[in-house]
Amino acid sequence: MSETMQSAEPRVGVYVCHCGINIAAKVDIAAVVEFAKTLPYVIVVRDYKFMCSDPGQELLQQDIKELGLNRIVVASCSPLMHEATFRHATEAAGLNQFYFQMANIREHVSWVTADKALATRKSQALVSAAVRRVVLNEPLEHQKVPVKPNVLVVGGGIAGIHAALTLANAGKQVTLVEREPTIGGHMAKFDKTFPTLDCAACILTPKMSMVRSHPNITMLTYAEVVGVEGYVGNFTVKVKKKARYVHEELCVGCNECVEACVYKEGRFTDTFNEGLSKRKPVYMPFPQATPSVVLIDPESCIELKTGKCKKQCATACTRNAIDFTMTDEIVALEVGAIIIATGFQTFDATRIPQYGYGKFPNVYTSLEVERLVNASGPTGGEVQLRDGSTPKRVGIIHCVGSRDEKTNRHCSRVCCMYSLKLAHLIHERTDAEVYNLYIDMRTPGKGYEEFYDKLLKEGVNFIRGRAAEVTDWTVTPEEEGKLVIRAEDTLIGVVRRIPVDMVVLSVGLEAHADADEVRRLFNISCSKEGWFLERHPKLAPVSTFTDGIFIAGACQGPKDIPDTVAQAGAAVAEALALVDRGFVELEPNTAFITKELCSGCHTCIAMCPFSAIRYNKEAGVAEINPALCKGCGTCVAACPSGAAQQHLFTDEQIFQEIEGVLNYV
Amino acid sequence: MDEITRTVKYEADTDPHFAEEIAGIARGETLRACIQCGNCSGACPVSPYMDYTPRRIIAMTRAGFKREALSSTTIWLCASCYNCTVECPKQIRITDVMYALKQKAIKERLYPKRFPVAVLAREFSAAVRQFGRNSELWLIIYLYLKTNPFAMLKQSILGLRLFLQGRMGLKRERIPMGTGKKGDLQTIWNALDRADR
Repeated sequence: MSETMQSAEPRVGVYVCHCGINIAAKVDIAAVVEFAKTLPYVIVVRDYKFMCSDPGQELLQQDIKELGLNRIVVASCSPLMHEATFRHATEAAGLNQFYFQMANIREHVSWVTADKALATRKSQALVSAAVRRVVLNEPLEHQKVPVKPNVLVVGGGIAGIHAALTLANAGKQVTLVEREPTIGGHMAKFDKTFPTLDCAACILTPKMSMVRSHPNITMLTYAEVVGVEGYVGNFTVKVKKKARYVHEELCVGCNECVEACVYKEGRFTDTFNEGLSKRKPVYMPFPQATPSVVLIDPESCIELKTGKCKKQCATACTRNAIDFTMTDEIVALEVGAIIIATGFQTFDATRIPQYGYGKFPNVYTSLEVERLVNASGPTGGEVQLRDGSTPKRVGIIHCVGSRDEKTNRHCSRVCCMYSLKLAHLIHERTDAEVYNLYIDMRTPGKGYEEFYDKLLKEGVNFIRGRAAEVTDWTVTPEEEGKLVIRAEDTLIGVVRRIPVDMVVLSVGLEAHADADEVRRLFNISCSKEGWFLERHPKLAPVSTFTDGIFIAGACQGPKDIPDTVAQAGAAVAEALALVDRGFVELEPNTAFITKELCSGCHTCIAMCPFSAIRYNKEAGVAEINPALCKGCGTCVAACPSGAAQQHLFTDEQIFQEIEGVLNYV
Repeated sequence: MDEITRTVKYEADTDPHFAEEIAGIARGETLRACIQCGNCSGACPVSPYMDYTPRRIIAMTRAGFKREALSSTTIWLCASCYNCTVECPKQIRITDVMYALKQKAIKERLYPKRFPVAVLAREFSAAVRQFGRNSELWLIIYLYLKTNPFAMLKQSILGLRLFLQGRMGLKRERIPMGTGKKGDLQTIWNALDRADR
């Protein structure tokens, strides 16, 4: 299309999409079409079932060519969904893509408006706004900005480990940040993994040590992201490395300091063992910790609390790795993409008091039992009660903190399978009679139903019913000294009392308590429950609403290990697609100064958060560098003379849009 | 030997509006959200004595098995302790559903034979409605007459002793009904009737 054609009298084409019945069921399409025909400069109005489909796009392309249209309006879904689609279609037909304007009559109208007449009027108003606006649109070009090649991975669980390794193998420089002193996450605590029962350590620890030794990976453990600035392809990230009081590069993990500590026995809660054992103030998180470096807990270390310790640990260290003067340190990183893989937390079982967790010593959470059955756990893999005896009867209660309006509404997805796994391991190690109390058995996964079948044949008992309570109030002689689980066996239709020695609460998966702070930090969204939101539940499952930031693993929703690893791989592919392209196209929504109007008052210069404006002394006016401008609009609002304007959002465009919308009122 | 009867249920045996009706009385729209986990039955202190567990009553109500639900002993055994309602993971107002079923059973005169709780409830409310107070002797007399007159003979000795001790009087207790002015009994009935409508 020639330049003269584009600058000539506007010729607008309006296309109203049915979106199947998504829009058509609530909006009177014919009425919108008839209304659009009455709007100024409108040459043609059409409607189509799916404007985003090939025939839909061809419709407007043909009209551009045959009717000489130079402005296009599509009334359909959110620009987030298909603005790019229609811009490309417009461009392909020879028109500058910024001569296209979208009116959102799906998310903003048909999906949220109950009354059909109102929905139709609202759609008409939005179409009117778009037509009035598009007439004033100008031809613009995307800015190309180079992308930084490095990638940040946040979270060192199996998702983060897999993502970091895959990126590093593709030749990218990766920084892996982990909040805990070691990478490994929840998976490092497990003994076996379902349904194959392969040993978690055997498949995880080699990956952990590969992370440590990979030349392309920088591992920052005991560290947290505290600040994120910039935009897609160009992020500046600040990471706080918490003081370990041990120099990582000097420590070889010999544990001499731990031996030498003035505390002869462990006295403090060992969080890695879920509180089932005690540790000293100086400790190694667990034998296979990566990095293999000890740390000192300032809350319990006598020297750090009072400064009055014999410091035997420091004396014992032959490499002088211990340094009590160490402080937190801030590291700045420049990255092009960020993968967030911060995982989950387990449900706090004390929130359901009728199960007696914290009241009866032999009521355990599933994560505690994972440590009990683990060969490197506090009991060396022996399933023992608190008094050291072996349980003869064990009850496993499913859905603790899942599928419950009062705690978490969602199904945690992994509990059925891990409960089956624990049932198998407990039955195998202790020969105990095991009862699984479930609401519904959910085993949709490769080999999962087969595993359930195996458990049924092994003679594990299954009772379909949600346990109502765990009590030490006994009725019959065989219940003496035991805990009794009361539940309806719903398949028989009777209430049963099951006496057991040990109760395992299969706690659900929840978003981290600080998920909201984390999502604010990265400027992404999360659901009401705190799960990070993907850009599209089906078609963009690892992207977020912030370009350049991707999510993987259970931080997006409860997930088992295979799905977590698959999603980590997907996030890596998306990140590579971004950094390997080498550049990003930025929306040309930058601000500009109309020289004739500028009085050179400097107001905008002080306001600009990106230092994109400078004062041109000779001309006596302000100038904006479009490469630095992020299009925030601050200068536009601040300018007292109306000289600062923004592409795509000029005052006139906004006023016309408002006038169009006012049709609705 | 017991007779063998048909146990299969045909759609014609169900009342498609039953669930809606009960949910309406009990403000129990969440009834439909029941996942049949049985937590209510497990939490219920009297479920071991019921003919159907509370979970099954919810299922029968939802599926429209009106006759079965209304003639069960479950709804009359319910002690209204609200344990089920507190523990229900779907926050279904199970106790309120039980009350709705009781109301419905009384209206439809569908309750288990020799299970006089419904008669007792009706006679009690009729007496209070008419006289403003309950008189124990008359309540017992009506209850036995309408359920099992012969049982009254067995209880007559106890009744006589209570009478002689002055624990039970022949006199009908009553309070004035009033004319519907503020504060008198008739105002309460008027308010209740309005609420019923």
